[in-house]
Amino acid sequence: MEYLALQVVFLPLLLSPLAYLLGRKFGPTTTMWFTFGILAYCTSIIIHQFTIGDYEEHYKWTEQFGEFGFLFDGLSSIFAIIIYLLCTILTLYSKPYMIHKFQENFKLENKNEQQSQLQNKQTMIVQTDQTEYINKNSGVYFALYLVFAMGMLGTVLATNLIEFYVFFEVMLVPAFFLIAFYGDGNKRRISLMFFFWTHVGAVILLLGFLTIGLSIGSFDFVDIDESEIPEDILLLSASAIIIGLGVKLAAFMFHIWLPYAHGSAPTPISALLSPAMIGIGAYGLFRLIIEFLPGAYHELAIWLHIWGLLTMIYGGIMALMQDDIKRLFAYSSISQMGYLLFGIGSYSVLGMTGAEMMYITHALGKGLLFMSAGVLIVQVKTRSISKLGGLANKLPVTVVCAVIGALTIMGVPPTSGFMGEWMLFYGAIDTAIDEDSTLRIIIFSLGLISTVITMSYMLWMLKRVFFGKLPENLTHVKDGNWYMLSPMIVLAGLTIILGIYPDIFLNKIVPYMSEITTRILSIN
Amino acid sequence: MEQNFNELIAWLIWILPFVAAIIIPAIGKRYNNLVGYVASAIALFSAITAASILPNAIESHGIHNQVLWISTIDLKAGVLADPLSIIMSNIVAWISFLITVYSIGYMKHDKDQVRFWFWMMFFIGSMQLIVLSDNLLQMFFGWEGVGLASYALISFWYRDKKQHHVGTENHSVLGLVEYYSPTHAGMKAFIMTKVGDIMMLAGMFLIFSFAGTFGFRELIDDTTWATNMATDGLLIPAIVLLFGGAIGKSAQFPLNEWLLEAMTGPTAVSALIHAATMVKAGVFLVARLGPILFSLSMAGILVDQFFEIVALTGAITALLLATQGMVNMELKKVLAYSTGSQIGYMMMALGMAGLSDQFVDGYTAGFFHLMSHAMFKASLFMAAGSLIHVVGSRFMTDMGGLRKHVHKTYIFVWASGLALMGAPFITTGFWSKDAIFASIYESGHVLALPIFIIAVLTAIITAFYTTRMIGIIFFGERSQHIMKMEKSGDHIHEVDKLMWLPYGILAILTIGVGIFGLSAENNIHSIFAEYLEHSFGIHSAHLNTEEHNDINLFSGLNALAVAFSLLAFVVGFVLGYIFYIGRYIDPTKFVNSNLLFYSLHKLMLNRWYLNTLIYWCFVISPLLIARRIWRYFEQTVVDLGMNNGFEYAIKWSSSIIHKTQTGVVQSYLYVFGAGLLFVILILLV
Repeated sequence: MEYLALQVVFLPLLLSPLAYLLGRKFGPTTTMWFTFGILAYCTSIIIHQFTIGDYEEHYKWTEQFGEFGFLFDGLSSIFAIIIYLLCTILTLYSKPYMIHKFQENFKLENKNEQQSQLQNKQTMIVQTDQTEYINKNSGVYFALYLVFAMGMLGTVLATNLIEFYVFFEVMLVPAFFLIAFYGDGNKRRISLMFFFWTHVGAVILLLGFLTIGLSIGSFDFVDIDESEIPEDILLLSASAIIIGLGVKLAAFMFHIWLPYAHGSAPTPISALLSPAMIGIGAYGLFRLIIEFLPGAYHELAIWLHIWGLLTMIYGGIMALMQDDIKRLFAYSSISQMGYLLFGIGSYSVLGMTGAEMMYITHALGKGLLFMSAGVLIVQVKTRSISKLGGLANKLPVTVVCAVIGALTIMGVPPTSGFMGEWMLFYGAIDTAIDEDSTLRIIIFSLGLISTVITMSYMLWMLKRVFFGKLPENLTHVKDGNWYMLSPMIVLAGLTIILGIYPDIFLNKIVPYMSEITTRILSIN
Repeated sequence: MEQNFNELIAWLIWILPFVAAIIIPAIGKRYNNLVGYVASAIALFSAITAASILPNAIESHGIHNQVLWISTIDLKAGVLADPLSIIMSNIVAWISFLITVYSIGYMKHDKDQVRFWFWMMFFIGSMQLIVLSDNLLQMFFGWEGVGLASYALISFWYRDKKQHHVGTENHSVLGLVEYYSPTHAGMKAFIMTKVGDIMMLAGMFLIFSFAGTFGFRELIDDTTWATNMATDGLLIPAIVLLFGGAIGKSAQFPLNEWLLEAMTGPTAVSALIHAATMVKAGVFLVARLGPILFSLSMAGILVDQFFEIVALTGAITALLLATQGMVNMELKKVLAYSTGSQIGYMMMALGMAGLSDQFVDGYTAGFFHLMSHAMFKASLFMAAGSLIHVVGSRFMTDMGGLRKHVHKTYIFVWASGLALMGAPFITTGFWSKDAIFASIYESGHVLALPIFIIAVLTAIITAFYTTRMIGIIFFGERSQHIMKMEKSGDHIHEVDKLMWLPYGILAILTIGVGIFGLSAENNIHSIFAEYLEHSFGIHSAHLNTEEHNDINLFSGLNALAVAFSLLAFVVGFVLGYIFYIGRYIDPTKFVNSNLLFYSLHKLMLNRWYLNTLIYWCFVISPLLIARRIWRYFEQTVVDLGMNNGFEYAIKWSSSIIHKTQTGVVQSYLYVFGAGLLFVILILLV
């Protein structure tokens, strides 16, 4: 199909104003189905292309930057599928959740208004119509949602450093607004914090891009040749890129924005930020560092490995301490991103394959968990774990999905988590044996131990939220509606299918990873 | 054609329970009371399929079938029904079937039938998957599957009601209350076995890294991997790590503590965990790997350390848990201690087998004990379940004098209890224990003597605590609890047929098989001898001379071993009789009579402080440290320092810049002029 990639990336952007208008005019249901339709169409195109094979598309851009292109290969097509799949099904989930949120906001704003009016001793109370308010906001929400989806997809399909950077920033803007408009807590401040941190990361990334691009005279991926870059610049720019992407990944010491942002964002957006967006940092590491700068990767692999380990353990320990369920999942995301870094630093085909599987796994598992947290927020109206308990038979579908999600994160077969995890750790030990490195063996063992930490905080969370005694005020709680539950069931099914038969994705990932690994080995 | 059919059947054995697990929720929607019967029927069907290929699998030295699984790295999934696994599979299938029948009665009044039966079937399926897998990775699926199912079933009553807890409410050890809720217990079991599982994973990876395969058959076909690993010094670590998995699942020292709390689940689940699934998985893993490793050692690669570790772990666990079983007052917990201890026997036997030249003797002994233990322990647990059901309390002190009320159960408990004690000549327990004694004694290894002493000591204790258990429950006066019950009109009566029939059958079977115990053992011995010879090239010296075992009943007996097992039974039984059946001496007074007994009693009652130690080291202190890190690093250094620090820095610099904006034109001009001067100077230089 012609202009295939152009369609899937820009269709959501072009139609987002329409989504806004539809929302304004006909309300949330219409715009939700409209958004769903666009994304479903794009997703089906991507999946279709995935079954056919690799695919590239290039367009003329400016003289300085080079070509504007899109690439589907063993790496990006999988990220693309996961991102759009999540975006598509989360549209359904968004509707009931966001209506709940709009109503809440409406009440809040009205109250403020009334108070100020009372203070001003005005007798006229202007009642904004609630339906109108919801319509307007759902329009804004779904328009931003489409742009956000497009930004993420563009980043993973880009074939040019500047293009990559542009999309990288484009996904930031709608996410910023979504948090600022519809977040919980101190949303203005948190959205700014989120914006600053990731923006600083992006700028550091850009610095790395510019040094590379200027020293080889082109920004196109195909032109990047490590041997043309002077050695002193190479390590510097590679470090800049790694740090820039590390902020996105919320790796240890660059992670502080994440618990705030994920805790505050409206749940469908948390469920996109956490599984889909931050993992793009890992995509960047694969594409930019491992594929294009194998020499630098060779030097830095062990540091990525250690950084990954620290992030895994630290995120896990912090997750143990959380009371807010969404913050717990946010720290768990940090820990999971540590797994990805760990796999990237493992320096072996299966280790890196495992890391990419972990991205898929984390997207499915954490998506499920965030969605069940959303059900709790809508149905139980609290997110503090200490106020929950014994909800298992009140929310039967949610609890099953949450448990499957937790098992996926824990890496218990037959969920896809295990498929990611065993490859990841096998890759780590394999390299350790090959290199005869005691340090790598120690890192490997600590990594395995951190899976026990992961298990502990997940099981403890499940115990405190869904099992045990039911607080008396929660006896009336009912399960969420089918808009919320059906996306969860889809994800739960997917994780089990992938856990038993991972070949669906592995068929693409393993050849790609073997290719880049042979390239690294041939250079060094 | 027939071979193809058998291969299909072998797959079906483990797939069927999973199919049942999937269809149960669908049926349960409409016919809630029917699910038990459906599950039971499928369990029976699975057992029949297992039995149907038993002769063929033994004759043909194993049915092996593979399909491609993960094509990119050329991993295959497969089913391997060789004599070892098919016998094991039959034990699992038939015992589980009886337990499902029992569960129909036991769970009749529970609301959550669907969940219960889903996990039961999942449990059985996972165990069969472990048994029939032809490679480690696929086995690990089952391995984690049983962990998951045990988690779900141990915390089955997730409402944490008081009657479902284990432990005594006010019993605190070193500042920790040993009183656990079902949800806590399930979590503990899952995490603790996970510790073993990660060790197993590490071991698997090490082997895979050298061998490039997870398959059991492939590992034995080409043993260059072992040579390479041995030269790198990684072979022993790898296989010991694999054994770590077995330690976790089989509740061996030091990962034994989860097994006691696992008693929070429904008793049918306990029976399943202890008799057929879960804890037997570890023994099975050692039985799976043992011959491979022994054949390596015959090829000159030193693996003795592995077998030594297995034997010692078994011995320590056997003694450790048996002693604790002597003092506990909760019926199910006594049985749980006993299971751990008996598994220790199996480990001892398998370990010592690898250290002697007669591998098959110890191997058979260990496996035979697994079989007999499966029968009598399933029976005992189910009986315990109905006793608890009848009395409405998990404490033995709330029973007493029950022998007149529950006549059938009384007889069945005696029968299977005698097997546990190892009552001579008529019970399976005697023959299997005797075989273990003989194999330890005959191994001639340095460790043989200490382990033999531990084995005998444990046997005495086993006989003692079993007698004690029976004495407290069935003899003496009725407890106050029962009197109270009768006063309020609840008469104690036997449970219904669906419940007592399964454990009745098993109890009779233990005696029935026990009478022909020696010939049964010799049969298994010859099957295994041939299996080991054929599949692993392990010769056994008296394979040919012992073909007439069935006629000459006592030829395989070791006189010394028999003497010691007799002695152990008599000593333990008499002691137990004095204290608890005849009640000539009051045990409480006896314990308090001198300091030594008192402190020993306390040590055992507090579980040798092992549980508390584990909690302090691996739960409480890490959490305390985590809280410190959370407060002083994450919240202070990272959040306040980096996040807000950045904000303050910006605010501060903005306030400075703010001050420069004076609005006075002159000062602006000065600065402008100075800047201009600076630029010009730079340009000039």
